[in-house]
Amino acid sequence: MSSDASTMPSSNRRLETFSYDDQIVRWFVIATLVWGAVAMLLGVTIAFQLADWRVNFGVPWLTFGRLRPLHTNGAIFGFCGNAIFAGIYFSHQRLLKTRLFNDLLSKIHFWGWQFIIVSAALTLPFGITSGKEYAELEWPIDILITLIWVVFAVNFFGTIIRRRERHIYVAIWFYIATIITVAVLHIVNSMEVPVTFFKSYSMYAGVQDALVQWWYGHNAVAFFLTTPFLGLMYYFVPKAANRPVYSYRLSIIHFWSLVFIYIWAGPHHLLYTTLPEWAQTLGMVFSISLWMPSWGGMINGLMTLRGVWHKVRTEPGLRFMATSLTFYGMATFEGPLLSIKSVNAIAHFTDWIPGHVHSGTIGWNYMLIAGILFYMVPKLWNTELYSKKLANIQFWLATIGLVFYVVSMWVAGVTQSLMWRAMDSTGRLTYPNFIETVVKIVPMYWVRAIGGTLVLISFLIMIYNLYKTAKKGKAQDGEVFEAYALDESSVEHKATPHRKLEGWPMIFAVLSLIAILVGSAIEILPSLLSDKYIVKNIAVKPYTPLELIGRDVYIREGCYLCHSQTIRPMAHEVLRYGKASDAAEFVYDRPFQWGSKRTGPDLARVGGKYPDMWHYRHFYDPREVTAGSIMPRYTWLFDNKIDYLTLPKKMQVMQQLGVPYKNEEIENGVASAKAQALVIATGLAESGIPAQIVDKEVVALISYMQRLGIDFTKAEVVP
Amino acid sequence: MKQSVLSQFDMPWIPITGLLLFVFCFVAYTYWTFRKSNKAHYQEASMIPLEDERRKI
Repeated sequence: MSSDASTMPSSNRRLETFSYDDQIVRWFVIATLVWGAVAMLLGVTIAFQLADWRVNFGVPWLTFGRLRPLHTNGAIFGFCGNAIFAGIYFSHQRLLKTRLFNDLLSKIHFWGWQFIIVSAALTLPFGITSGKEYAELEWPIDILITLIWVVFAVNFFGTIIRRRERHIYVAIWFYIATIITVAVLHIVNSMEVPVTFFKSYSMYAGVQDALVQWWYGHNAVAFFLTTPFLGLMYYFVPKAANRPVYSYRLSIIHFWSLVFIYIWAGPHHLLYTTLPEWAQTLGMVFSISLWMPSWGGMINGLMTLRGVWHKVRTEPGLRFMATSLTFYGMATFEGPLLSIKSVNAIAHFTDWIPGHVHSGTIGWNYMLIAGILFYMVPKLWNTELYSKKLANIQFWLATIGLVFYVVSMWVAGVTQSLMWRAMDSTGRLTYPNFIETVVKIVPMYWVRAIGGTLVLISFLIMIYNLYKTAKKGKAQDGEVFEAYALDESSVEHKATPHRKLEGWPMIFAVLSLIAILVGSAIEILPSLLSDKYIVKNIAVKPYTPLELIGRDVYIREGCYLCHSQTIRPMAHEVLRYGKASDAAEFVYDRPFQWGSKRTGPDLARVGGKYPDMWHYRHFYDPREVTAGSIMPRYTWLFDNKIDYLTLPKKMQVMQQLGVPYKNEEIENGVASAKAQALVIATGLAESGIPAQIVDKEVVALISYMQRLGIDFTKAEVVP
Repeated sequence: MKQSVLSQFDMPWIPITGLLLFVFCFVAYTYWTFRKSNKAHYQEASMIPLEDERRKI
């Protein structure tokens, strides 16, 4: 309820009174703390699962492949998302001297977002996933996210329209870029065709799916974990330090350069894959260019603290902010470094990458959120922080925990990568068994899990500290403020173009949109349109019905989180896995399953490498065939029956998407799948496996494993 | 086969257009932002978060 009604004459300008909606900010603060704790608890759980495979307790929905997507979604959308909304709603009103546009929209935004996260928690552990990293949520939730995002946008831009401050402060530009870009990314990447309420297939296949996915994936980091936080930094650091930002003009350069350049960086996740070479190089070059705006922003934030460094020692809020900016500097130094092709050749698929990610998410996002909360919570509840001492303990636990995490992952990543590529003087792999390189780094997984535990404990201490703070204070609403209405007097008629732009939020938003669309269009469109240039490899055939079911089991169990399906053109990879991957091999992969991490070996050419019986024993207990394996047991695949019911619909959707299934193939789909299952089960029966296995999911999964890379190998033999 | 087709799917004018666009915009907004006449304005703008709202009792 806005209280903008009363007016007071003062010179020629109209003085208006209003109050802020701080209740919605309090709600988002509480949600931030709740989901933060959940996401970190999940992170610690899966960290221990990598150290010891038994930590899933044999429960399907507690297994790494199902919990990892929940951890990432919970941390990004639950923890960081709610923190962003809390910070934006707090600062947006104050920077514009007006109340939020509509209280009801704020409430719908809040409850809608919490419902989305609860939906994630109720689907991902049960294997309901689209199988695309950081975008795992299925199509009904994707639609819900879009709707709630629109509600947020209306509320946000509505507030701008009602503002009493002509100039749009730089923090708000970053918010605008966030809202627009996240909408574009989410909609383009979530294009999928529903099969059932809980299952869909991506509109893109293979290389194109990979390109769109990592354009999304990298820019989720850029526009969900970076730009909104930079906006918050530009408001809360000056507030906490009680000094203006070091250089406002630098912040303008920072904004446009960052927004323009960031969107191009996605392909650095796909170096040495079958993505066109020019797109890879473009992604790398722009990633390196990102050094400049990133460090410009970091320096601008840190230099804002000049003259108040002594307060960094005594004020917990400032201390967390200064540390977060330092980690931001480190992570944005490491990122461009990792995108250089020769460095990426070593780091990609190893633990170095999760190490890098967490120096960003824990070091930058968590630390900045802590700094903001230490500033905001005492203000929201009209009191002082409960305990600076607890905040200091929290600070050291988090920092030491993070150092444990990052250092152990550097060591693990580099160690494993060097072992992968080690060759002796005769040109043979020094460690031909992948498992040798895994066993070596398990101690580092323990160090990481302990580091993560320290971070979790630090977070729980913060929750206690803030709870006590809120409890001793009192939430007061309805405090009345006054400011002049926005009128002609603040319009500058002779301003330079950019200064005018700073007062035109809508045109500003359109220009931001153009800035991100330029990069997106140039990078993605040629590849999406390149279909007609591609000569299909006739040896590559669509999956059989049973393999299709098996593939969906593979996606459901999140196998792609530990196993890649793409072989890079490097001597050691070809020696270990077989011929380098080719773009033509993936044309029927919806979604693509290249993965981004090799906790286990690559599977692109695993078909035919082992007998069915090997896979059977391996899924039942990996240690039966691979001593020292850290893969969990998948015993439920031996109980779950194959889902033939949805098969015809799945094939129809695939046909719609261009997979050349004939109509009669779809009609006979179930029969043909059952026939193939029988062949596998008969083979297994020779080794003494009971015949009842024929209708169990493990058979479908085996059929898929045995298909991987097979067509292409055949194509080599037949000229 | 497809890989070799794709790798020759070479359109240098695309990234070069992007580069030129960026350089052009960069020069433009840097010039406008750092013009001397704007200094006071931006100094004022940077104070916006610190203006403590006038409270009405």
